[in-house]
This record gives sequence, structure tokens and C-alpha cells, in this order.
Amino acid sequence: MSRLPPQPGERIDRQSVLRFTFDGKPVEAFEGDTIGSALFAAGRRTFSRSFKYHRRRGLLCCAGQCPNCIVAVDGAPGVRACVEPVKEGMRVEHLNAQPGLELDVMRATDLVGTRFTPPGFYYKTFIRPRRLWPLYEKVLRHAAGLGVLRKEQADREWRTEYRRRHADVLVVGGGIAGVAAAKQAAAQGADVVLVDEGQVEPVPGVEALGRATALGYFDGMVPVWQGDTLHQIRAPAHVFATGAIEQPLVFAGNDLPGVMLSGGALRLLERYAVSPGTRAVVVSTNDRGLEAAARLHDAGVTIAAVADLRASATEATRALQTRGIAVLQNHTIVAAEGGKQVTRATLGGVEGGNGAAVGGNRAAGAGGNGAGAAAGAEVSFECDLVVVSGGFAPATSLLSQAGARTAYDEARGHFVLADLPPNVFAAGEVAGHADPDAAARSGERAGRQAAGGSPEDAADQPIEQAPTAVPPPVAGQTHGKCFACLCEDVTAKDIKLSIDEGYDSIELSKRYTTVTMGPCQGRMCQLASIRLMAQETGQSLQTVGTTTARPPYISVPMGALAGRPFQPAKRSAIHDRHRELGANIKWAGDWRRAYDYGDPQQEALAVHEAAGLIDVSTLGKLLVRGSEAGEFLDRLYPNRFSDLKPGRIRYGVISSDAGRIVDDGTICRIDEDTYYVTTTSSGAGAVEEWFSWWLADWQMDVRLTDFTQGLAAVNLAGPKAREILGALTDLDCSAEAFKYLDAKHATVAGVPCLILRIGFVGEVGYEIHFAAAHGEHVWDALMQAGREHGIRPFGLEPQRILRLQKMHILVGQDTDSESTPFSAAMPWIVKLDKDADFIGRWALEHYAQEEPAARLVGFTLGDGYVPTEGAVIIDALGAPAGQVTSARFSPVLDRVIGMAWVPAPLARDGATVAISDQGRTVSAHIQTRPFYDPEGEVLRS
Amino acid sequence: MSLAFLSPVAADDVAIARSPMERMAKAAGAEFEVRDGWNVAVRYAGETAERTVAWADVSHLRKWEVEGQGGEFGVARREGDAWVCPLTSDRALVIGGAEPSPTALDVTCNYAALTILGPQARETIARFCALDLRPQHAPPHSFRPGSIARQPGMLVVEAEDRFLLLFGWATAEYMWTVVADAATPLGGRPAGIETIETIEATEDTDA
Ligand code: FES
Repeated sequence: MSRLPPQPGERIDRQSVLRFTFDGKPVEAFEGDTIGSALFAAGRRTFSRSFKYHRRRGLLCCAGQCPNCIVAVDGAPGVRACVEPVKEGMRVEHLNAQPGLELDVMRATDLVGTRFTPPGFYYKTFIRPRRLWPLYEKVLRHAAGLGVLRKEQADREWRTEYRRRHADVLVVGGGIAGVAAAKQAAAQGADVVLVDEGQVEPVPGVEALGRATALGYFDGMVPVWQGDTLHQIRAPAHVFATGAIEQPLVFAGNDLPGVMLSGGALRLLERYAVSPGTRAVVVSTNDRGLEAAARLHDAGVTIAAVADLRASATEATRALQTRGIAVLQNHTIVAAEGGKQVTRATLGGVEGGNGAAVGGNRAAGAGGNGAGAAAGAEVSFECDLVVVSGGFAPATSLLSQAGARTAYDEARGHFVLADLPPNVFAAGEVAGHADPDAAARSGERAGRQAAGGSPEDAADQPIEQAPTAVPPPVAGQTHGKCFACLCEDVTAKDIKLSIDEGYDSIELSKRYTTVTMGPCQGRMCQLASIRLMAQETGQSLQTVGTTTARPPYISVPMGALAGRPFQPAKRSAIHDRHRELGANIKWAGDWRRAYDYGDPQQEALAVHEAAGLIDVSTLGKLLVRGSEAGEFLDRLYPNRFSDLKPGRIRYGVISSDAGRIVDDGTICRIDEDTYYVTTTSSGAGAVEEWFSWWLADWQMDVRLTDFTQGLAAVNLAGPKAREILGALTDLDCSAEAFKYLDAKHATVAGVPCLILRIGFVGEVGYEIHFAAAHGEHVWDALMQAGREHGIRPFGLEPQRILRLQKMHILVGQDTDSESTPFSAAMPWIVKLDKDADFIGRWALEHYAQEEPAARLVGFTLGDGYVPTEGAVIIDALGAPAGQVTSARFSPVLDRVIGMAWVPAPLARDGATVAISDQGRTVSAHIQTRPFYDPEGEVLRS
Repeated sequence: MSLAFLSPVAADDVAIARSPMERMAKAAGAEFEVRDGWNVAVRYAGETAERTVAWADVSHLRKWEVEGQGGEFGVARREGDAWVCPLTSDRALVIGGAEPSPTALDVTCNYAALTILGPQARETIARFCALDLRPQHAPPHSFRPGSIARQPGMLVVEAEDRFLLLFGWATAEYMWTVVADAATPLGGRPAGIETIETIEATEDTDA
């Protein structure tokens, strides 16, 4: 046990004992403990196995910044033990080690497999023989990754909340500067949200979100992940007080359990009263590392040695001296050794250093080699803890995402903020204000500005801290593995190798070696890899630059990104009737539609023999009103509508500027100034936008209202349709009184309806449009009235058979982005003699003059084979010359029919073409006129 | 030819107009009454006045598009029983009340509608909608066209804790599901229009 007596400010409640399990074994913790602190207190030193080499990894930062303590909690992988509070009964398990953490067979990769696992090894090693790739992939997948999701779907799902929050100011970072900024902004009346990865104290007038991590910056929106809630916080001004991240050092064995950042060691000690070790070697480039040594000493940890990379002593050095601790100036660590954890550390003098120990019992710790450490000489110490501090790099990731620029600061040895975009402010250590008072002042200033106030005072220049030394890219002779990136097991040697192979920019090296791409997102390794890159290429660090900061800042469950599991489906007002009738319901664009009711062929036959009823509420429906409505439509369509008589209907094809077909539908003139336009179901939105766009441009006296969702529509078709409709309306439905392409207003079953006599399916048909609130009523009334006539509901699939018999095109299915009215066998729709200019006129005039290369035609097949839509038409030489767009078996014609694009010379009745489909070739006969009722006699009857 | 087909007013009593959320309401225990030709969810079994948040289907409210009536951007006017919501400088959506003018276009069934009310109403809406509804930014009578649960919609702030949401008729089932999913963990439940009528009556008395 390494639990210490009560420490000042500790965050545990020793009266409250919690129990949880780690890999099935019981562990005790105090309320307030993290999983990491409790396990460490219980003696655990290995928390995970590394990604590639499966080396032991222990607590490093104790701040959720590194990859070393990632575990699974209650089956959910990716949890950082060092920041996750213990809850009673929680089940904690290690990741990525087989059969267990203490004995992991994949460690062989480290011991004997290093040669086979250089950067990008999966591109090099596992490529031959190719047929074995599926096996390799399985092995690699098994070996890689950070945890396994539970098998049962129910265990893999949990509810994630999504909460949108607007604020006047968002402050990221709840330290001294962040809290000061939040307070100041709130004092100025701003609505402020403060978020921090750790606990945050309540701030009056501020919504403070603790244990909440800002994941990124998206044009002013910052997603913040807190527990199982994703807050999407939008604010016009942001203060980032994100602090600085303590950097590790690169030396042989720098990943051994027991090598810990000074901040991590202090967190264990001060928050959880856990001693990080019994005998420590402390290695630092700055005062904070030395201060940590003093604090550890005071808590009873034996300080075996202290190495300071700097040449001169500081106040912190003297504080150690007064405790009788010697500090080796100009020294750093060159190697750590050990098995299950670190047992020995070797320090060495750095070039140019004097190697002098300053005061105290220099290098006299038991287990040291006893000799004084001269410049360049090495001295080893037994220890179970190596505390390192390689300086503090400003946490600029979110600021960079917000558009801030950084520049390399030679003196400090890291990248600092160079300039900020408007309404983005930085405060505290991220802006160079490490001193608490200066941090608070910078926070107040940023808060005031973010809330719209003037800065009032000039920004503090960052207070010069005691100088910090810039560590070498790699310290010492690198006999063992020196890790630049702990997440991805990338060593200094790997980065050198990647440069040798030509990946000589930091972004290329990142992609090749995957350095900075792991769970720490570059926090522990970006600076180290830049230093290595600079050393190897001879460039300055400024020239090497940083990699692009990208969200998410921490790893989050997929659920955080997925949204609640609801698809915004559209359903017609009659949808529930289709469900009750057992319809086979599928997606059609963003609608849920009845494809069929179990027997599409019989449904199609019923339309020919008696009557069928289909829900066509999904059609686009636009009301176009105004004194210039007719002219407006004349400009949008290649044919005329201004001369359409009220009460009549005309078919229309919308073409693009380039004369290509983009949609089709019917246009009914209701009165002098009012037209009712229908579009395809899938094109409704686009056509409405298209109309609105042109209307805004042309500024005509026209108003457009979209009734697509507000009106239900059904198509009643078949020889009995007239009788059925007649039973429900006073309207004279006779062929003489209600002609083909007439539109009438009448009540049907008591409901006011617009009835269009049109026939997409080839039989006498009435398309009945009415308010959606009456959808089921009208449907029920028609089905009821049609029962004695053998009416059947029919779905989309039988409708497709029926329309194919009439050779009516489906835009998007039979046409593509190259199809024109001329090539799609509809030259009659283009009225080039129109006075009005219209969209696509120039292109259509051109197409009218030339023979298209391919034409859309019908075809029949004799042997019952239904070709796949997309099957290839081949020419005499076997080369592709067109494609099948639609094909069905027609029950009324008792043969297979279809439509296809064929070379223009073959687009004539009686020609034959070959269709190649799924390994067989069939011969099809071309037909250019509708298969069913080619003269339209049935339709008009 | 008439435009009466746009309107959900039937020629006789046989055709009762139905909300696209009727089945959802029924499944949640609604009791219905026919009012002005509409089958309306008036109350729910076990409904109490105590609530964190409630949602009520008010799709039966008549809606009209009127020309020549604009108004202040983003602000709805209360005229009698109706909300007049400016869509453009000279075009408004009128929600509720009687037909505002003979030339008004009946768009009732273009929009289904839910009222969301209660102390947690804002929090509920924030679970599926990114509109800024903070009281200082969207006081009562604010009108906000925008994206609601990833669908085009409109929102009227009827009172401090009461919001009227309008969205496409065909998306109503989806929208009910989304609202119920957001509100239920916050202690929410559906409410009948009697609840709203009671609240409105109290507001009128208070006024
Ligand atoms: S030790 Fe837990 S994240 Fe670093």
C-alpha cells in the first residue's frame, strides 16, 4: 500500500470506502479516488500494455492527457483510469493484453519482432502473398486496437444526451485564469458557460460544467463532452484558458512504469494521498520539476538524485539544497531500466554542461555508483520512481482550431501563440501567464473583452519565469527504445527512419508513423516529434512547424457523434392504413412508402381488370399564384402554360440550363392566375428551390406555396374507377363531362378535392388531391366504395410495372444527367417556337439540330428473363453501347418489358439489341411506342 | 375553380379531420373529442397539473398565409386568438383564430404543431433544436423559423415557458418521437389541449 497519512487539501473521504473490481479482483478505494489512484494505492504499477510492442505502461500524467492508463469500465473501453472517479461496484478491466496484463504474449513483438514492425510495417511486411491478406488482417485487427466492444448490442448502447446551449461567452478551462475570465464576463452581464476537464467550483452567475471536455472548435460552436452528454455550445466570444501540458523527455526506457511526470506524481500525492514511489530520481528542465522533488521529499519520498538540465541554480534549487538534496546541474536522464517497473535511472551530463553538483549530498544516494558525475559521464541510481519534467507546452490545440497562429519561441523551447482571430481570447498559461496573479489578471482582461468591454489595461507581458532549458530531442546513447509517441509506440528511431524514407515533413511523418494520431492527440508527443524532425532534417523548429490540430481533443464514444437514433422520415397522412394492410414499406427518398401489399403482379392486374388505389401523397405539390404565374412557368418549362385553359392539365418536363431533364410532372391551371404544379416525389424539394431561386431573380408577380406535405393525394385507376368515384361525388364523371387531362374541383366523400384526370398507369385514372387531415377518410371511402368492384390497394412496385407498360419515364431512373427531351423520345415537349425565353432554350436549340448518340427506347424479351437495371447493351463487337434502365415482367402482357438507352441507329421498331447481364447475353426487340394501349384509347375512354 | 381542396374543412360531419400525431397520442393514453371538425386529444389518463414539461398536439390550429401583412422581423403579434408571424416584409403566417381574409391561403395541413410547456420546456427543446431560446434572446412573442430536429420548422414563444412548434405534416410522427424522447427523461409527458386552455384562461385572467 502506498497510501499516505492525510495530506493537506486531499480530495478523498477516508470515512467512505468503495469497492470495485479490476480484472475480477476486488479493490478498495475511498470516495473521491480515481480508479488510477485507488489501483496505484493498492500496489498496481502496470495499467496497460502499449499499442504495438505490448510493453508495460503505468501512470504518467495522472491528468487524462496520455494513453497509459486506458481501461474498460463496465464494458465500455477507452476510459482513463487516472481521472475516472471510482463508483461502488464498477467493473474495471485492462485492455489490449492477452492473456493478462502481467503476462502478455504479444510482448514478443517487442522482444523479437521489432525488426518486422518498422513504421508502416503493415504496408511492407504483410502484403505477400496477397491471398493471405484476410488472415493478416484478422491477426492485425486482433493485435491492434484499444479494447473490444461487448458482443451484445444492448450492452454496446447507452443513452447519450445532446444539448444545445447558446451563451454570450464560453470559457474553456477552469483554472485561475478561466475562473477569473468567467467571473469578469458574468459581472459585465454576459451569459457565461465555463467548462473544464476536471472539477470546477461553482461560479456565481456562470453555468459551470465540470468533468467536461471541449472537443473542438467549429465556427464558433464548441462541442463539450460531459459524462453521457454532448453539449453543443455556441457563443460569439470564447476565452481559452487551457493551460499548458507538461512534456515528457525522450530517453531509453522512458515508458517504464514508474516514470512519471512531475505533475502526475504531485497529483497522486496531493489529491489522493498516494505516494508515487519510495525512492525517486527527479529530472527536470525547469523549476516546477525541482519543486516537485521538494514536495515529494517533504512527503517522505527519498530523493535519490535530482538532475537539472539548466546550468544555473535557481530559488527552487536552493530550496532543495536546504533540504540536503543535491542538484546535478547540466544533467539529464539518459536511461531508465527495469522489468515490471523502473528500478534504475542513469543520469548524464549534457554537452557544454559542467556537471557540477550544487550543494547537498551530491550523487551520494545508496545504489548510486558513488562516483561524481563529470561532464559527459553517467551515473546510475536505484529507484522505483523517475519524475520527469520536460517543460510546459501551451495547450493551443483548440485555439489553433479557432484560427490562432503559433510560432516557435526559442527561449522557452515550445510554440507560443502569435496571434488570435477576432472574439477569441487566450488567458493564463496558454498565453504565457504561468504566474498565478498574472494568470488571474489575464483572465479578467480576457473575460472583460469577451463580454464586449474594453481591455481597460494593457495586456501583461508574460512574467519571466525562472528560465527553462530546452531538452535534447533524445538524451543519451539510445541503446533501448526511446519513445517519442507513447500512444502509437513510435520511437525516435522510427521518426528518423521515416525521414530517411522520404517522409520529411511533419505532416507526412505523422501520417506514415502515426505519431500524434493516438489517444493523446499529440499532447505528449507533438513537440518531441518536431524536435526530432528538426534535428534530423537540419531545419529550425519554426520551419518544421506543428501538425494541424483537429477535433476531437479527446477520444469519445461514437455515440457522442451519432445523435439520437431517429431518422427524420416523412410519412403520408395515409401511412398507418398501409401498415394495417400489411404493406411492404421501404424508403423512397426521405419518405416511407408502401412498395407493395404482398403481391405486386396481382396488384398491377387489378388495375387493369377492376380498380386500384395508390397513395401518391409524396408527389411534390406547388401552388403558383399571381398575374404572371403563366409567364413564370413558360420561362421554367420548355413547353407553354400561359395558354393552358383553366380546368385543364398539361405534362411538363423541367430542363436545366444545359437542356438536361431534371424533373417532370403535371401542371393544372386552376384559374386565370393560379396553377397547381406537381413534381416527382424525389424532386419536390429541388424543384421548389429551383422555382424560388428563379422567382427571386426574376421578381415577377408570382407567389409560390409548397403544399407537398399539406395535401394528401391518391390515384384511383382502372376500368371501375369512374364508377367508384361517381359513388362518392356529385360530379359528373362521364367521359364526356370529365375528359382526359381535365381538372375538376368536387367533394369526394364530403371532402373538398381537386381531381386530375390523368393516367400514369395507363388506365382511366383520377388523381385526387385533398387536405392531409382527411387522408384516411378519403382512402377509406374509396376502398369501401370500390370493394364491390374488386378494388385493391397497389404500391410503388406495381405502379412501376404499369407505368413501364406505358413507357412513361421515371426521372433519375430512366434518365441521367445527360438526358435531354430529344434523346428521351420527348421532342414534342420542347416548344422552340415559344416567344418567351426559357431555361435551357439555348442548349435545346442546339440539341434539336443534331442526332443524339443514344436514345431511350422500349424493349421486349421473349424468354422470361428480367435483366438487371443497369445491364449493358452491347454492340456487334461486344462493346458496351448503352444500358437497361428499367425492366419488369408485365402480367397483362405476359412478357418481359423494359426501357434502355441504345445507339440511335438501333432506336427503331423491330431492331434487336443484345443485353449482357450477369454472365449471360439475351436478345431484345426494340419498341418505340408504349407496350400497353399505344394509342391511349383506354386512357381517354 | 376553387381552392377549397387546400382546406381541411369538410362538407359534412362524416369527414373528421385528424392530426398526423393522433395515433401517437392515442398510444400515450389520450382521450379525444371532436371539436370544429377535428378529432382533438383533450386530456390524458392520469394527467396532473404538476409537470416539468409537457407536449400537446395542436395540429388542429388553423394556419393561413396572408399577403400584405409583414411585421417586425422575428416577432409574432397576438391578434385575437391568432398569432401573426411575419415570413417576409409583406407575407405572414397566421396561426389560430378565424380566417383572416377571403384571400388568405389555408395552409393548415402544411404544418403539424406541438405546444411544449413547463419549466423544462426550454431544456427539452435544447435537446433537439439549436435555436437560441434564452429568455433574453427569445422573449415571449418571438418567432423563429429554423431547423427543428433537423427539419424545417418554425417556433413561436407563446409565453415564458410555452413554445409552439410548427413542422411539416409528414414529419409529425418523427417529431413526436423526438420530442417525447427529449422530454421523458426530464419528467415530461403528453398533455391534452384542456391543459393549454386552462393555462391560457389563467393568463387571460391575470392580464
Ligand atoms: S496517466 Fe492517465 S492519462 Fe496519463
